[in-house]
Amino acid sequence: MKILRIAFKDLTVAFRDRTGLLLMLAAPVVLTFGMALVSGRMTGSSGPTLADIPVIVVNRDDGEIGQMLVEAFSSDALAGLLDVGILQDAAAARTEVDQNRAAAAVVVPAGFTEAIVGGQAPDVRIEVYANPEREVSAQVVTAVVESFVQQIELGRVSGQVAVEHMLAAGLIAPAQAQDIGMRVGAQAADVDSGATLRLVSTEDSVSAEVEFDPMSYFAPSMAIFFLMFTVSLGGKSLLDEKSTGTLGRLSSAPIGEAAILAGKMLGIYLTALAQMTILIAVNALVFGVTFGDGLAVFALVAALAAAATGWGILLAALARTPSQVTTMGSAMMLTFGVLGGNFVSITGMPEWFRWIARITPNAWGLDGFVALGLGDGLPQIAGTLAALLVMAALLFLASVWLLRRRGVLHG
Amino acid sequence: MKKILAIAWKDTVIRFSSRTEWLFFIVLPVVFTLVINFGVGSAYGSDGDSRIPIFVVDQDGGELARDLIAALDSSETVRVKLTGAAEAERGFKEREAPAILVIPAGLDEAQAAGEAIDLQFTAAAGNTDAVAAQQAVQAALGAVGRSLQAAGIITAAAEEIRPFADDFARQAFYDAAKADAQSRFALRPEWIAVTTAAPAAAEEYAWTPAGQASAGQLITWVFIPLLAISEMFAYERQQGTLRRLVSAPIGKAAALLGTIVGQLATALVQMILIATVGTALFGLPWWREPAATLAMFAAFGLASVAFGTMLGTFVKTQAQAGGISLALGMSMAMLGGCWYPRELFPDIVQKITLALPTTWSMLGMNAILLRGQNLAEVLPVAGVLCGFAAAFFAVGLLRFRYE
Repeated sequence: MKILRIAFKDLTVAFRDRTGLLLMLAAPVVLTFGMALVSGRMTGSSGPTLADIPVIVVNRDDGEIGQMLVEAFSSDALAGLLDVGILQDAAAARTEVDQNRAAAAVVVPAGFTEAIVGGQAPDVRIEVYANPEREVSAQVVTAVVESFVQQIELGRVSGQVAVEHMLAAGLIAPAQAQDIGMRVGAQAADVDSGATLRLVSTEDSVSAEVEFDPMSYFAPSMAIFFLMFTVSLGGKSLLDEKSTGTLGRLSSAPIGEAAILAGKMLGIYLTALAQMTILIAVNALVFGVTFGDGLAVFALVAALAAAATGWGILLAALARTPSQVTTMGSAMMLTFGVLGGNFVSITGMPEWFRWIARITPNAWGLDGFVALGLGDGLPQIAGTLAALLVMAALLFLASVWLLRRRGVLHG
Repeated sequence: MKKILAIAWKDTVIRFSSRTEWLFFIVLPVVFTLVINFGVGSAYGSDGDSRIPIFVVDQDGGELARDLIAALDSSETVRVKLTGAAEAERGFKEREAPAILVIPAGLDEAQAAGEAIDLQFTAAAGNTDAVAAQQAVQAALGAVGRSLQAAGIITAAAEEIRPFADDFARQAFYDAAKADAQSRFALRPEWIAVTTAAPAAAEEYAWTPAGQASAGQLITWVFIPLLAISEMFAYERQQGTLRRLVSAPIGKAAALLGTIVGQLATALVQMILIATVGTALFGLPWWREPAATLAMFAAFGLASVAFGTMLGTFVKTQAQAGGISLALGMSMAMLGGCWYPRELFPDIVQKITLALPTTWSMLGMNAILLRGQNLAEVLPVAGVLCGFAAAFFAVGLLRFRYE
């Protein structure tokens, strides 16, 4: 009972602190809103994606192929991906790129059709003038040009091979060769003729039935990042009480040292749990984020809050003054944020980096949220939960030992 | 002038009286730049191969699958980690690679029957490497698939003219056409030339994740402490020292200017240090055009410090100022493209974020790092930032109260 009273007092104090609430709740919501904006959630997209890439096309070719390229870029199929502007002057197109108004300029040189049809080694090439500030967009434009050229090549080679093999098999007479070559070539070059190998892309969905919501990564990232602020604030409250003397008064009351410590820890834990629960609920209700199985999400939040609380208490055990906790807490919050992948995904980081990341509740928590977002349930995240609980237990033990050794609880 | 310098010095002393300030001033920016740059720079490259790894699950094992894997592995963008489905799933979740490609069983049969074959590609959310890997996979599919496609179309056309005697004859014709098409595609000349809009030395200014990280981290970690100037105003208001200024022969503008000068000088030192670390460790061309870099730093610092000053006239307590500075600073850095390239944002958001000084700062820094622009070329962007500074400063001056 005494433990609960101490815990609820701390919980009440935490949620009455307007400034604390600013960082506990308002800041992660504002940042998640920002993520929702940049990821396209607020404009109807399912995730960060490229759309309406500004590209300038200049066609200086007199033949069919230049015109075909212009039509391909202006086609309905690419209407959502590209925002195409047509110019006559290549220099003006390059200026658009130089001024960062376009991701790339595509210039089809004079005589291009002639070179392709003749199959001669070209001294004329399609130029893709890429904007280095829009690297990914420029790559996409290059890929579109590459795909177009491949299709044209497919037509050319198909026509040539068809004629030679049909002639050899006695299927056609030499007089029919040109007609057949043109017909087969046109059919192969038709983009609607259908590729043999097609890529079906999904984002983060290992199991094909579940579509991963990228906000299921971004939203918990921000919540976990600010969770570390909350627990360091909790750790600071322990030393605040020591310096203001209230901890001393508590120890003179008929309440054991273990109960005081348990009450303080529970207070931090409940505050962390409440913060995460509120943020998850807000993300689900306001931003429509899907987190997966409710029970598993709650179990994850509970384990995550426990591990984070362990770090908060450890800070209090290591620091000598409340301001030291603030300094160390800021450092921990930011370092764990970058290590745990709250800002930049740690996918592809070297193995040693991902190993170090394992000391943070952030990395484990994000792993859990991603797994749940992919459709996993409680059994699949059991390892993550166990890791977080082991982390919590180890940190609690270390903190209690340090706090007792330093006599912090004696006020 | 003396009064302004005295206030500047006093503010600098107050700011650095807290150890936390040193943390934000130099320790965290350098650590973050190191970790992110080193992480990104060495990502995938610990064994000397810096291509993006992708898990490939070959459920077929046939000839076509082998051709496809070989084509993928010869790519300059991706390298193949051939593995089973469970291992790929584990590795993907462990973030060892940003994508999985599954080659389904029955590839050769489907090809023989002339059916289209779907290959499943799973990409990590919000990962630009996954976008690049997808393009490389698409290119490899195109390279392998087009000879099949050509052979299929030619065989069908031949069959229309005269049906084959039997399946064996049909297959022989198909195989011969495929082999011929394959060898012709292999001889294909280059029809495309990609050039980069970096006239001075294109290769030197090639986009790198390290460049994006360095500029983004610099802006983030200079911007947030400069916004925290609002904490100083709140602190002085709480301490009553601002009230004392009323009795001193100093105007509002001089008081604000003093604070701005001190913080701006500190921020310039911080930026020079961070950029020098980026240059020394990662060869980033921060100092190729020193005048342009310094002009951008000054303009960015001025806009940021003026924004912090304006913010200081809105907040009531020191703690409130600290919280708002961190939340606002992080949000504006993210929306300005410091964490993710703005090209990935929806078009409307790209336009809206032009209202932020962080966006213009990132544009200016990128112009220096990626395009090698000189002082004259970055002056328009610097001018916009100075415009921001003037507007923020004007609002701050209007709202400034001693108590």
